[in-house]
Amino acid sequence: MTPMTPESSSSAEAEKVVKKEQCENHAECMKLIQMVLDGEAGSEEIEHVRQNLGKCLPCTNGYNLQKAIKEALQFRVEHKPVPQNLADCIKSKIQNLEK
Amino acid sequence: MTADEYIAVRQYTETEKYNIFDGELMPHIQSMYNFAFRLTQDEDDANDLVQDTYLKAFRFINSFERGTNAKAWLFRILKNSFINDYRRKSKEPSKVDYQEVETYYDSEEMAGTSQTTDLRAETVQELLGDEVTNALNALPIDFRTVLILCDVEGFTYEEMAKILDIPIGTVRSRLHRARMLLKEKLKTYASSMGYDTSEESEDEDSL
Repeated sequence: MTPMTPESSSSAEAEKVVKKEQCENHAECMKLIQMVLDGEAGSEEIEHVRQNLGKCLPCTNGYNLQKAIKEALQFRVEHKPVPQNLADCIKSKIQNLEK
Repeated sequence: MTADEYIAVRQYTETEKYNIFDGELMPHIQSMYNFAFRLTQDEDDANDLVQDTYLKAFRFINSFERGTNAKAWLFRILKNSFINDYRRKSKEPSKVDYQEVETYYDSEEMAGTSQTTDLRAETVQELLGDEVTNALNALPIDFRTVLILCDVEGFTYEEMAKILDIPIGTVRSRLHRARMLLKEKLKTYASSMGYDTSEESEDEDSL
């Protein structure tokens, strides 16, 4: 006995779950989705979004896109290496400050 | 300077000052330089901005409570230095029509036009780091800043509110708008580069 979720099952029952094409509340949904992806949502909000994603196509697409953009910023924006002498330069200025 | 990041809460000895500076502040130099570079978009300016920030931090080190969030404190000083000293003379193109942008996106939100996904997650996943960085750099500074703080540097909304001196609600809505703007930039970019930005099924067949 496996619990049925919209994503999981191959049973005919589960395949009948059709996601809705229109979201009447999309702007609000996207705000919640943002908080979930940013790790700022409470457990109730996370659960709400999770359930909604199983049912709503625009929200699913919005979630996937938002997640892809966030990950692109997290992992693919180049970190500029610190110039080698910057730390030394700062330290020597500090040392000379009050002398 | 009356902002609370400069109000003394401690009276450290000289030795303590140097210990805190080396032990708690200097380890953030990589993030600081990166933030400075993303703000100024210029290596020399970033260099100067980081130096100025660290000198200020040392001068006002008595206002830093040892063991608290040094990175957020430093970022706040850096961001204020940038606004006060660099923004005016920086190469930032024109005065940002921030108000206009906010208004535009407010109406955009009302109309709910973001309903149809016109950019695919898969397309974003294919973009190179440089392409994402360029899109980020093309955003007005206030929007760029929240994305850097949140996604690149991983600050919480609460930390961002402190760094930027704005309420958490504003952090949230500015992030939301920043992401919509970035999405537009990425979409324009992706279609100009010939990435498939449409999700019509007929396009899938033609590939």
